Amino acid sequence: MVCNTPTKKKINPRNHHFLKGSFILFLAFILCSWYFIFYIDRVDLKDVFSQKNVAFTSQFLKRLISNGETRPAYLTVDKIKYTWMLMINTFKMSIIAITFASVAMFLSLIPFMQGHMIRSTSGVNTLLTITVKKIIQVTFLMSRAIPELIWAMLLVFILQPGILPGAFALAIHNYGILGKLCLEVIENMEKSPLQGLEQCGAQKNQIMIYGVIPIILPKLITYIVYRWEVILRTTIVVGMVGAGGLGNEFKLRMSWFHYTDVTLILMAYLLLVYLSDLISKSLRKAFQ
Amino acid sequence: MPSSRFNNSKRRWLFIGLLAIIFWSFQSIKWGKDLIHGGGYTTMLQILSAMVHPNMSLSILKLGLISTIRTLVYAFSGLSVAMFLGFFLSLCASKVLGHSSSFSKLRITVSRRLLGFMRAIHELVWALLFVASIGLSPIAGVMALGIPYGGMLGRIWADLFDNVDEGVINALNTSGASKFQTLIYGYLPLILPDMISYTLYRLECGVRSSTVMSFVGLGGLGYQIQLSLSDLEYTEVWTFLYMLVFLIFLINFWSHQLRRRLQYGL
Repeated sequence: MVCNTPTKKKINPRNHHFLKGSFILFLAFILCSWYFIFYIDRVDLKDVFSQKNVAFTSQFLKRLISNGETRPAYLTVDKIKYTWMLMINTFKMSIIAITFASVAMFLSLIPFMQGHMIRSTSGVNTLLTITVKKIIQVTFLMSRAIPELIWAMLLVFILQPGILPGAFALAIHNYGILGKLCLEVIENMEKSPLQGLEQCGAQKNQIMIYGVIPIILPKLITYIVYRWEVILRTTIVVGMVGAGGLGNEFKLRMSWFHYTDVTLILMAYLLLVYLSDLISKSLRKAFQ
Repeated sequence: MPSSRFNNSKRRWLFIGLLAIIFWSFQSIKWGKDLIHGGGYTTMLQILSAMVHPNMSLSILKLGLISTIRTLVYAFSGLSVAMFLGFFLSLCASKVLGHSSSFSKLRITVSRRLLGFMRAIHELVWALLFVASIGLSPIAGVMALGIPYGGMLGRIWADLFDNVDEGVINALNTSGASKFQTLIYGYLPLILPDMISYTLYRLECGVRSSTVMSFVGLGGLGYQIQLSLSDLEYTEVWTFLYMLVFLIFLINFWSHQLRRRLQYGL
């Protein structure tokens, strides 16, 4: 994001008022929120940082390292092998989720990719196409507004507990997010190559395949790899409602107070995040 | 630059490898009639039918309104903590405070690693760790939202600081501005639109995360959704979900308007 040296622009006064008003509203919200926390919820900072809590916190941190057992969990070979299997499951869950999300998003964006005829011939802006487009946009909004955790809770009731409900929940949520991001890419892309194709006599779907897709594909792949990274981090959360993987194990061990197992799981989780970082960096280098 | 033929064959192997990984992942699901368990179909029909007639009774609507306010409160407080942390860490992690001395290099590396660590752990995991330490206080929720979001904001702001146009900064430095003056008059006017734009995007994510965090018991829309789901009252669940969608829609609309108007310059 390279910013140019600002030149003297004539600022639209309406924009200026909107920006100033929004800024004041934002500050007001923040002040009201802190007021709410301190006076209505009656939070007392002295209570939070009290002697008792400090003792609890230090005991918790100590128990993360050693729980008073003969061998802490992160040095036991069986548990390490089991956690490794869970890591592989989590990885698989992320691959399934991102595959479903990308394929579904791609199929839903076909109506938007076709609407770029320069001469408005029949069938481009009819009521039917506008309705279809609005319905798809609302679907994107609902899929991404509902957090993946809630989708996971609903899906665990329907499907067997395991990695599938988690994968589906993440797929639905990220379908909405990818849909919105790629819709913006399609709307902001350069349309002059399409004009050239159309003047050579290309049909609607030829324009789509040879014109639109090559232009948006690099940005699309960037977004898909970015969402795959985020999905990998969110699988631990989705697993907490029973959808399998590291998250399930994390919740179980926290409720049994087996804090050294929790340390093992957190280490595995950080390792997974670090590996995904490496993979996405090398993917980006390979495609550049 | 590798020749294009080498690049093409590398890409082909990458593509084949990707397909193989996808195929291997799908193998682990037992497709077949065991996919949906016994009561699954009935539950799915119940959930779908509740989607079209959500619970509109006054008590549920009042509960939803209070929970929405609580969710917004935690989101804004958490975001304010995140902005505070992120701003100072981004200054440390970027070239603003100097980048030549070895101390600066150490400072930059340490700050970036710290930001990465803050971001890596999901806010729900932070929430569970905080609740295990300081109990079910709203401060736990605020900190659990503030720390990962501070990491994300700090990282993006540090990148923005580093990618700024050097000409303006050099001009200010050679005319004798102090570091603080360079920051206020040089860096900030250049990148403020992008900073604001990303912060608004984070606000929208923050409202969603605040909902998710109320699952650990901190009160808010997520908590109510979890309670209604445990009672299997799908109509109530859909009422709360519609409120959440409406809230996200409003914030999305506000941030879209702001981003559009910011493009015309401050």
